[in-house]
Amino acid sequence: MSPRDEVLTRRPDDGARQPRWAPYLFVGPAGLLFLAFSLLPIVIAITLSFQDTATLGDGEWVGAANYETMLGDPLLRTALLNTLVFTVGTVPTAMAIGLALAVALNRPLPGRGLLRALFFVPMIAAGVVVGVIMSWIFNPDYGVANNALAALGLSGLPWLTSPNTAMFTLIAVVVWTRIGFCMVIYLGALQSIPAELREAAAIDGASGWQRLRRLTVPMLAPTTSILLILNVVFSLQSFDVIYVMTGGGPGFSTTVLIQYVFRSAFADARMGYAAALGLLLVLILLVFTLLRQRATKRAEELL
Amino acid sequence: MPTHPVPRAPGGRRLSRRTFLAVAGISVAGALAACSGAPTGTKHLRLSSWNIPLDLESYQVIADEFVAAHPGTSVAVEVTTGQFHQWFITRLAADLAPDIIRITPQQIGRYAANGSLVDLTGAVPAEYQDDYSEPFWAIGAREDGLYGVFQHTDNFITYYDRRVVQQIGVTPPSSLADAWHWDEFLEIAREARKVTGGYGFGYGWGGAETAYRWLPIVYQNGGTFLGEDGETPSMDSAEAVGALDFGRRWYSEGLVSPANMSKSGGTPGRDLFLTGQIGLLLDNPESIAPLDEGLPDEWGTAPMIRNTGEASDLGGNALAVTKSSKHPELAAELVAYITSRANVVEFCKRGNWLPARSSLDAADIGYERHAGTMQQFIDQATTIPLSMVRAESGQYFSSLNSVLADYLDLCFLGELSPAECGTQMTEAMRSVTTR
Repeated sequence: MSPRDEVLTRRPDDGARQPRWAPYLFVGPAGLLFLAFSLLPIVIAITLSFQDTATLGDGEWVGAANYETMLGDPLLRTALLNTLVFTVGTVPTAMAIGLALAVALNRPLPGRGLLRALFFVPMIAAGVVVGVIMSWIFNPDYGVANNALAALGLSGLPWLTSPNTAMFTLIAVVVWTRIGFCMVIYLGALQSIPAELREAAAIDGASGWQRLRRLTVPMLAPTTSILLILNVVFSLQSFDVIYVMTGGGPGFSTTVLIQYVFRSAFADARMGYAAALGLLLVLILLVFTLLRQRATKRAEELL
Repeated sequence: MPTHPVPRAPGGRRLSRRTFLAVAGISVAGALAACSGAPTGTKHLRLSSWNIPLDLESYQVIADEFVAAHPGTSVAVEVTTGQFHQWFITRLAADLAPDIIRITPQQIGRYAANGSLVDLTGAVPAEYQDDYSEPFWAIGAREDGLYGVFQHTDNFITYYDRRVVQQIGVTPPSSLADAWHWDEFLEIAREARKVTGGYGFGYGWGGAETAYRWLPIVYQNGGTFLGEDGETPSMDSAEAVGALDFGRRWYSEGLVSPANMSKSGGTPGRDLFLTGQIGLLLDNPESIAPLDEGLPDEWGTAPMIRNTGEASDLGGNALAVTKSSKHPELAAELVAYITSRANVVEFCKRGNWLPARSSLDAADIGYERHAGTMQQFIDQATTIPLSMVRAESGQYFSSLNSVLADYLDLCFLGELSPAECGTQMTEAMRSVTTR
């Protein structure tokens, strides 16, 4: 038996005795943090969702009353619909543009590094800062967007002050902040596709579009799956940009679920109801993640 | 094989690893205990205010005088950060709220009602009430006690661009009795729009959280937000619907910028005034400084508009003691000290605020600039109705303000008619007040 084989076959107990508590010491700090800042708040939120309280703590037990209220709450229905529109508007668009940019910037181009960095910068900026800057840009009275339209001889748009355009503007802003992230993840995945495959496809006469559609996109499927889940989570958790830019208005036209959770907790002082709404958001995320996982597994089985 | 030096105790005795760790542990524990804020004999108070540098300085100056007169105490002035309710609720929950909080009339009701504030009855001299108008005293007073003392106020009057009114050919009123009525005002606003080429006027709205600033319009028309008792939703009355109709005309006729007065808008009225896009502005004294800087000597002021009744915005702040305070009696004493007549004079002079005390006028304060305009604001404060104060400082108002912001948006931007808005808003308000 060679020394290498000896190492591979040696059982842990064969050598110096390893202390059994060592793994717990490694896991301990992270476990404690998870317990204090994730698990415990979740347990408290579940408890709170069965209470009626205006502030945190000392609530009155109301059973499932908060969940019953949710069933007949028209503003919740509006918020859910808006959340759906916002998610459908942001996720595929950001991913498609991110993929297009990744494909474009995966080729040798002058200034490629700079362009990659520029597209990624909005992802780094804090949501509140993005919200404030975009509010100025889309201000109908003195914003850059309407001044640009005026310079082209076009009339200005009520970007944020009309129920018909506010959601569109928000989606555009959020897509802008997110395409850099999608681009970077896709770039990493593109670089892991063996060059021989593309060369072989080219030799076989596949056009650029065919190579993208038949080779690149299928090879990126696992990345797309992860990006899809991450982007849906990001969209469901989008709060700061919307809060700063529209406050959920005009009217209720941009009130999404997480806005409604915040509003219920702090503007309406209904902590119990807000906790129940928060758990609904968690449930939606869980269901989506499970469905997506199942779909991915099935796709892998078919392949 | 390298050896590590073994720590030695003073005197040369060898320290075992366990002894060393024990000594280190005890030292760290001692150091942490010293930092823990354990009682040192000094009674420490924290006062939290909005981030207005001049006011923070004023509070610290007054607090230092208080500390000098109260040996064994200290006071730190802090800044209230971020979204108020989120900030305050979470600190109350952690029992870390400041001892004294500077709070608006619209915010105080919720916390006075839910036990987050301390009753100041007994700590505030009885004669204080005599120097307050009934509406201003009602901001902190509830049936079961006194939960805050109104320190300073502000309200809305009409600013006008001299060039614009000159071109229109009108002479703005100077006394409350001659204030522009709604119809007159709309006529002038239409003319102003023609002159500016933009809009007619602006409103001192500051986003959804200040939706209540529109309520004086309801009271000017003889309506109420929560009835005369300040508790019964009443935005479906003919007077309130009439006010909504008046407000909607501002938008439908293009007299105001939708970005100036909607939840999603971000254009302050004073910016439109400074850039010549409007000729009239209904706003509070905070516009004086920027207008002085941007349009020196080109603007004047007139009373707030009126209709069948008079009313103006209820601005300003009260001081209250929170339940987190470990020294509530001392904190209440400091509140009484800050709201004393002499300190109110000093505070208002430095910060250009209006006094909440009735016996003070602009001459008493000694404003360095625009004393006449400040007196106009002080006079306008007398038009703030008691029923509006009761409504805005009531226990539900923090929640009702969101409802108001939502439905004003829906009405003004054309989603609901004034009558539909009145009915639906009242229904939404009831769902809050009957919770």
